[in-house]
Amino acid sequence: MKKFLILSDKTLRLIQSIAFASGVFAFVLCILISVNYFQLKRADPLNSPAMKSLVERMNTNPDDQQVKLEIRELDLLSRKAFFTNRWQIKTGGYLLVFNVLILIICLKSIELLKAKLPEIPGSKMDDFWDKRKINQVWVAYAGISLVSVSLVFAFLTHNQLGPELKRAGLAGQNIGSNQQTKLPGNVPSAADTTLKNISGKGANDSAQSASTNLTEGYPTQQEINSNFPSFRGPGGNGIAYQKNIPTSWDGKSGKNIKWKTAVPLPGYNSPVFWSDRIFLTGANETKREVFCFDALSGKILWKTAVEKIPGSPAQVPKVNRETGFSAPTVATDGRRVYAVFANGDLVALDWNGNKVWAKNLGLPKNHYGHSSSLIMYQDMVIVQYDQSGDASVMALKGKTGNLLWKTSRDVKISWSSPILVNTGKRQELMLVAEPFVISYNPSTGKELWRIDCISGEVGPSLAYSDGIVFSVNEYSKLAAIQVGDTPKQLWENNDFMSDIPSPVATKQYLFLPTSYGTMVCYDAKSGTKFWEKDFGSPTYASPILADGKVFIMDKKGTMHIFKPDKTYSVLGQPQLGEGSVCTPAFAEGRIFIRGDKNLYCIGK
Amino acid sequence: MKKALAILLLIILFGFQSMHTFGIQRFPKPEFESGYTQPQTLMPSPRAEILAYMDVAVLLLALSFISWLVLKKRSRNGVFWTSVFSLAYFGFYREGCVCSIGSIQNVTLAMFDGSYAIPLSVIAFFLIPLVFTLFFGRTFCAGICPFGAMQDLVSFSPQKLGSRLNAILGLIPYLYLGLAMLYAATGTDFIICRYDPFVGIFRMNASFGMYVFAGTLLVSGIFIARPYCRFLCPYGVILNWFSRFSRRHITITPANCIQCRLCENSCPYDAIDIPVTEKNPDSRQMRVRKLIIISILVPFLTVAAGWTGSKLSEPLAGVNSKMKLAKQVLNPVIDPNTPETFEITAFKSAGKSSGQVYEEATLVLHRFYTGSWILGGFIGLVFSLLIAGRMLKKYNPDYVPNKGNCFSCVRCVDYCPVEKS
Ligand code: SF4
Repeated sequence: MKKFLILSDKTLRLIQSIAFASGVFAFVLCILISVNYFQLKRADPLNSPAMKSLVERMNTNPDDQQVKLEIRELDLLSRKAFFTNRWQIKTGGYLLVFNVLILIICLKSIELLKAKLPEIPGSKMDDFWDKRKINQVWVAYAGISLVSVSLVFAFLTHNQLGPELKRAGLAGQNIGSNQQTKLPGNVPSAADTTLKNISGKGANDSAQSASTNLTEGYPTQQEINSNFPSFRGPGGNGIAYQKNIPTSWDGKSGKNIKWKTAVPLPGYNSPVFWSDRIFLTGANETKREVFCFDALSGKILWKTAVEKIPGSPAQVPKVNRETGFSAPTVATDGRRVYAVFANGDLVALDWNGNKVWAKNLGLPKNHYGHSSSLIMYQDMVIVQYDQSGDASVMALKGKTGNLLWKTSRDVKISWSSPILVNTGKRQELMLVAEPFVISYNPSTGKELWRIDCISGEVGPSLAYSDGIVFSVNEYSKLAAIQVGDTPKQLWENNDFMSDIPSPVATKQYLFLPTSYGTMVCYDAKSGTKFWEKDFGSPTYASPILADGKVFIMDKKGTMHIFKPDKTYSVLGQPQLGEGSVCTPAFAEGRIFIRGDKNLYCIGK
Repeated sequence: MKKALAILLLIILFGFQSMHTFGIQRFPKPEFESGYTQPQTLMPSPRAEILAYMDVAVLLLALSFISWLVLKKRSRNGVFWTSVFSLAYFGFYREGCVCSIGSIQNVTLAMFDGSYAIPLSVIAFFLIPLVFTLFFGRTFCAGICPFGAMQDLVSFSPQKLGSRLNAILGLIPYLYLGLAMLYAATGTDFIICRYDPFVGIFRMNASFGMYVFAGTLLVSGIFIARPYCRFLCPYGVILNWFSRFSRRHITITPANCIQCRLCENSCPYDAIDIPVTEKNPDSRQMRVRKLIIISILVPFLTVAAGWTGSKLSEPLAGVNSKMKLAKQVLNPVIDPNTPETFEITAFKSAGKSSGQVYEEATLVLHRFYTGSWILGGFIGLVFSLLIAGRMLKKYNPDYVPNKGNCFSCVRCVDYCPVEKS
C-alpha cells in the first residue's frame, strides 16, 4: 500500500504560497495576453487614419519630401508597435507555460503532502442494476435526441444541391472553360484595355488587339463592371460603375462631342460597350444588321447582316411603330456579341463580326413586337421570350448556341428585360410579366420564388437594391418587394406609373421615370414620395446611375442629370441636338448615346 | 563510459534533427499581395525517415516500459514519470505529431484513396498501441499519449460525474470517430488534427480560439479528470474495444479482493466496477423478452440511423473544398464591393471548366451520401449495442477495473491493503 506522507506545516505553507502566487501571475498573464491579442487583431497599422491622410497628402503633392519622410517614420513606428505586440504575446505565452508548470509542480507537491489515508465510503454501495437501468435509459434518450436533432436539421437543410449540381452539370456539359490562363500573355484583359484604349491609343491596333483571342470562358465581375455589356448596364439594373462622366455637352456646337456617326439602320435598341467597341443593331422589314463601332474614333469597324438563319420565318413580324424590328439591345461577354430581332432570329457574332452560330427561336406571338433585351450570365446568353400562350425563359451556351435550360413561364406577353442580381446569398435572375415577378436560378433555370404583384402589358424592367426589387407598370401599380424564398410586398403606390422606362434604385431611394416625362423619387424602404419633377418632354429611355449621379435622356434629346437625393437638384441638362429614345451606355469618362439617327460619343 | 557514449549519440542525433529543420525554415514564407494568408499548418516540419523510425522505437520502448511498470511493478510513481517523459518527448519535442489519435485518419484515407501513400511510421503509431492494448490494457493511455499525460498532470480534484452524465458524454467519442473517418475517407479534412486542442500548446502556434478550447479543457480537467480522453478521444473508442479483450489487465488487488471498499472512490475516471453478486432483478422472462426486442431493434435502429445520416449528407459535405467551389461557381457573388474569393480566382486560373467542377462536386456528394449512410448506421449500431449490452448478465464478485474504460493509471492499486501473496 502507498506510503502516505505527512510533512511539516511550514513546508506546506511555503509551497501553497508559491502555488498561489504563480496562480495569480498565470491569471494576470492570461488577461494580458488576451488583451494584447485583441489589440493585435484590431490593429491594421498600414491602414490607420493617420497613414491614410498622409498618403492622401502625398497623392496631391507627390514631390513633398517631408510627407514622404513622415510616412516612412509612421510606417516604421506602426510596424515596430505591431511586432512588439506580437513579441509580447509570444513571450507572454512562454512565461505562461513556465508559470503553469510551477503551479502544477506546487499543486502536485501539495497533493502529495496533504494526501489522506483512504477511507471507506460512508454511503451504501450503489445498486448496480439500478445504475445500469438509468444508464440504459439515458443512452436511449441521447440516441432519440440525436436522431430528432439530425432529422430537424436535415429537414431544414434538405438536400437540394445534388439535383442542382446535376442539372447545372448537364446544362453546362462543358459549361465553358473559364480559363483565363489560356489567353496569351500579351493580350490585355478587357478590364485593362477599357482604360488604356479610351485614353487614346491607336484605334485600329486596339480594335484588333483587345479581344480577338478571347473566345473561351466568361469575364470576371470586375471586367463586367468596367464595361457596359447589356441593356441598363451590368446585370441590367441601371447602374454603371464608371467615373469621370461628363455632365455638359452640346450636340449643336459640338462641345464635348468626341464623335458622331450615322447609324445605317433604324432601331430602338441601346448601345452596349465593351473594351473598345460599341455594339448596336438596326432592322427594317427585310434587313437585320449588327454594327460594331470603334469606341475611340466612331468608325464602323464592321456590320454583319443577319440573314439565311435556319428556320427564320419568311413572314414579316407584326410590330408597332414604337417598338420596331430591333428593339432588344444586344449583350456581350467580351468574347462574342449576341443579338435578337423581332422575327425571333438570334445570332452570335465573334469580335470581327463573323457569325459563330445563329438560330431562329420561332416567330414571337407578340402584337407590338418582341423587345426584351438579352443578358449574359457567365457564358450563357439568357433570353426572356414572353410570347402569347407560350412564355419561357432560356439559356443558350454562348460559344455554341446549345440550349442549356429552358423554363416555361405561366405569364402573359411582356416587353420587359431580365435583370441579374446578387442578393447577398445567391445570384438570381428576375423577370417581370403579368401577373408575377419571378426569380430563377440563372445556372439551372429553376424557379426560386414568385410573387403576384403586377398586371397589364408590362414594359418596364425591374430595379433592385439592398434586398428590394421594384416592379411597375401603367394601369397597375408600383410595388416594392422584399426578395427571398418567401417574398413580401413592402409597399405599393399607384400615383405614378411607367409603361416604357424602367426605374433605378439606390439603398435609400427609388427613381421612377414615367413615359410622359415626370421623374418621381421615393423612399425605397417606405414608399414615401420625396419629390416629383416634370421634364416637360416624354421619356422613353431608362435612367442610369453612374458616377454618383442619375442620367436620364428625354425624347427631345435633353439629358437630365441630377443628384440621387431627397431633394431634386439638377447637375446638368445638356442637349444632344437630336431626339433619343435609347438608354445611354457608359465607359470611363465617356457616354455613348444613340440618337434617332446618329450614335454619339461624349467625353471631356 | 557506455552511458556517456549513448548520451553523445543522442546529442548528435538531436543536433542533426535541428539542422534538418533549419534547412526547411531557411527561406521565409512568401507574402501574397492579394491578402492571401498562409493557412495554419496541421503538421510540423517533415522529419528525416530515420528519425521517424526513431520515434517508432521510442514508442515501442516506452510502451514496453510502462506496461512493465503497470503490470509487474504496479508503480504509480513510475507511470507518472513516464508520462512526464512522454509529454516532453511526444508532446513538446515531437510537437504532438505523429500521434496515434490522428493516425486513424491517415489509415482511413489510405484505405479509401489508393493514391495516398501512408508512411510506415504512421501505420506503426496506429497499430502498436492497439497491439499492446490487446495484451496489456490501455497502458498507452496511462502514460504514453502526451494528451492524456497533460490532462493527468492537472487532475487535482477529480469529482464523480454520475452515471447519467458519464453515459451521455461517453457517446461523443463515437460520433467524433465516425465524423473523423467520414471526412478522412472523402479526402475532405483531418478534423482530429484541425480541432486538436493540445498541439497548439506543444507548438505554441494555435489560434486564439484553440488556446481557449485547450485552456477550458485543462481547467475543467482539474475537476473532471481527463475530459478529452473520456469524452472526446476517437482513438479511445478503438482502444476501449481492444482493451476489453486484453489478455492481461491491471487488477486493483494483487491477490484476493477482501471487499474492504477502500478503493471504491479511488478512480478519478469512474472506471472501477463494483462487485455484482445479486442477480438481475428482472425476471428471466422479462430479460428474454427485452433481448428479443433489442435484437429486432438493433438492425432496425441501424438502418433508421443510417437513413437519418444520409439525409445529412449535404450539410456534412458542405465543408469539402470541391463542394465549396461548386457552390460558389453555381451561385457566384456578383457584387462590385465584394472581392472575388480566392477559390474562384484559383479556379479561373486552373483552366478547369465549371462542368468539371460540378462533376467533381457530384462525385464528392455521392461519396458523402454513402459515407453518411455508414456513419449514421455506425452510430445507430453503437447506440443499440450499448443499450443491448446493458441487458446482459453480469457477475463479478470483486472490485475490478472496467477493462474498456480503465486507463491503467495505477492509482487505485495504492488503495488496496492486500499484500501480494
Ligand atoms: S488503474 Fe485504477 S484508478 Fe487507474 S483508471 Fe484503472 S481503475 Fe481507474
